[in-house]
Amino acid sequence: MKGRSVARPDNMSGDKGAGGPRGSRQAPLLVAPGDDLGDSGELEAGHGVLAINGRLRALKQGRMSNRDGTVSIEPRRTAYVPRPSDLVIGYIEGCTSNIWFIDIGAPFNAILPMSLGPSKAEFGGIRKILDIGDAILCRVQEVEENHSSVVTMKGMGLRAIRAGSVEDIDPHLLGRLIGRGGNNLRQLKEDTECRVIAGDNGRVWLDGDLSGIIDARDRLNALLTEAKVEEYRGDA
Amino acid sequence: MGGYGDVQCIDENGIRLDGRTKDEVRPVHIETGVVPVADGSARMTWGLNDVIAAVYGPMEAHPRKIQRQDRAVLDVRYNMAPFSTTDRIRPGFNRRSREISKVTAEALESVVLTELYPRSKIRVEIEIICAEAGTRCAGITAASVALAHAGIPMTDMVVSVASGKVHDIVVCDLNKEEDNYGEADLPMGILPNTGELVFLQMDGDLSPEQFQEAWDYNMEAAKVIHEEMVRALKGGDE
Amino acid sequence: MSIPLVPSLLRAHLAELAAEDKRHDGRDRFEARDVELEINCLPRAEGSARVRMGDTIVLAGVKFQIMTPYPDRPNEGGLMCSAEVRPVAGRNWEAGPPSAESIELGRVVDRGIRESGCINTEDLCIIPGEKAWQVILDVFAISDDGNLFDAFGLAAIAALRSATVPAERFEVGEDMPLEVSKTPIMCSYHKVGGRFVYDADKREELGGDERIHITLGDDDHVHSLQKGLKGIFTAAEFAEINNEARSRCAELRDLVNNALEGE
Repeated sequence: MKGRSVARPDNMSGDKGAGGPRGSRQAPLLVAPGDDLGDSGELEAGHGVLAINGRLRALKQGRMSNRDGTVSIEPRRTAYVPRPSDLVIGYIEGCTSNIWFIDIGAPFNAILPMSLGPSKAEFGGIRKILDIGDAILCRVQEVEENHSSVVTMKGMGLRAIRAGSVEDIDPHLLGRLIGRGGNNLRQLKEDTECRVIAGDNGRVWLDGDLSGIIDARDRLNALLTEAKVEEYRGDA
Repeated sequence: MGGYGDVQCIDENGIRLDGRTKDEVRPVHIETGVVPVADGSARMTWGLNDVIAAVYGPMEAHPRKIQRQDRAVLDVRYNMAPFSTTDRIRPGFNRRSREISKVTAEALESVVLTELYPRSKIRVEIEIICAEAGTRCAGITAASVALAHAGIPMTDMVVSVASGKVHDIVVCDLNKEEDNYGEADLPMGILPNTGELVFLQMDGDLSPEQFQEAWDYNMEAAKVIHEEMVRALKGGDE
Repeated sequence: MSIPLVPSLLRAHLAELAAEDKRHDGRDRFEARDVELEINCLPRAEGSARVRMGDTIVLAGVKFQIMTPYPDRPNEGGLMCSAEVRPVAGRNWEAGPPSAESIELGRVVDRGIRESGCINTEDLCIIPGEKAWQVILDVFAISDDGNLFDAFGLAAIAALRSATVPAERFEVGEDMPLEVSKTPIMCSYHKVGGRFVYDADKREELGGDERIHITLGDDDHVHSLQKGLKGIFTAAEFAEINNEARSRCAELRDLVNNALEGE
């Protein structure tokens, strides 16, 4: 890829998460892949934007925004790509005698070596600690060049998830779920009296009373519907 | 392409069997989200063509032999439903479908930023529900919209259309009779923002002037179809 | 089809919901998702239907061909049902030879139609010993969000009932409607969290256990039954869902009749 600066999910304009900018936007404009977005001499390429031959081009469909000279696109959907220190919710898909294979909703499964797991097992006893189908809250420790990742359960709050329900939302909607300074998330927890933990891979763990979980899930669905409706509003 | 028999594809007033003049594109309509469980999807109706494309991925590339270390592969499947044509098509392996799947993948790989997802695959499923000439073009076009809908990064979308020749007259966007009986068929896959090409095939007999005419018709038709693609993406799920 | 991972958390959660007589999407135990039925929607088929149940979408097309009757049945034509879940329908449906799930689906749908006797193959005879109609029903999933069985069953019978025999195109007479003497309807019940529910969606199927498919004809006649997947159920459980099936099958039959009348 000579002569191009590639906007990757992990080198875009300083925002956390693959989802692009949160916060205030100026005049959102809907764009489609291939659209010309301006001169790359004057503007920076943010998420979903590429500089080609002196011009900025949209790579995705969604709402374009220009924040302090960086042009980004909030897409309708983003595939989750893991980065170090991401908090993720994963499912055990398989194991060997000392490694678990974890589905974290990325193109590749992650691995959890026994040394980074919740406890050590005797030989042949790995499934007594974490069995296939179990859910865990873990952190991405490292991501190799080819995007396989290693996760760890050593860390505060990381554990096996034994109760409650895990819901899936698109990673780029996490910003909306959490809100500025975590306000929306805090409100959700208070209103539903549930523990709500949002993984960077778009998986959200709800834990509490059954009625609280149902309430929290309803609110999550309402948020998704609202996002769907809003994504097509804007100056077309 | 056989003889015309009794079929007159274009009359003395320049009107074709479906009422179009030689430079007109068939009516096109595109909607997104028609496969709700997919990561992205689109439906294209174009003349009597009715085509659905759905995208899943990026995901782990299985089987391992299709994996590439440096980029994602596009795993494209083009298929015609048994009830898509007047004579039923037996389901199962079909050489024509395989060829079309391959050239479609190659067209789309030219614009998708596959290097962002090494060792993975992106599935593109194209189903022809009802067929009327130009199904491979419709498949590529619908797949582009589905990829965009799925948030897969692309430098541009691909618009595909086939012009040709009937009764020695060059016509834009061949319909069924023109495709069956005509003298030439030139399908192209065009990047609307630059006019570059990612897909090109040709069958038949065209003089240099006629070739240029058919080429230009495709370029013009691509603009019309591209407008509808963008409208569908910006207009929301129907 | 690749077998998806079943999270134990999902199973536990569904069991918790079931204990409180709840489902994860808020439906009642035997409540259906919204159903849409459209007929004669495929221009190149002689009969067709499109069914949507929630986010599950299925198409069915009827095509006619001329066949030579089998020597031992010179007065009969044929009926062939082919059902396919193409990879387009879901992440877990992969390309390649039909999976066991896909084959079971096809065969259950075929039996529901064929064994009811709704098509009399003697009606399909054109010239005894020489020519007869072969009716080919192709059912095709476009989107799988659970309960493909019922969507397939409904699309299949609706397509057949909407079909016109294309005698003119084959130059053997005048076009006429295909004779379909009954309207068998399939209703499927999945055991989720320890009890049977109706019209399970993908999540319930993933976290659930065995399923039972009941095809009933007019007047509640039983035409076919199938139990799938691992699990044990009681006679009382079966009686309960058979009872539910009677009213639901009648509702869906009305839907088919209304759609046809509207044409």
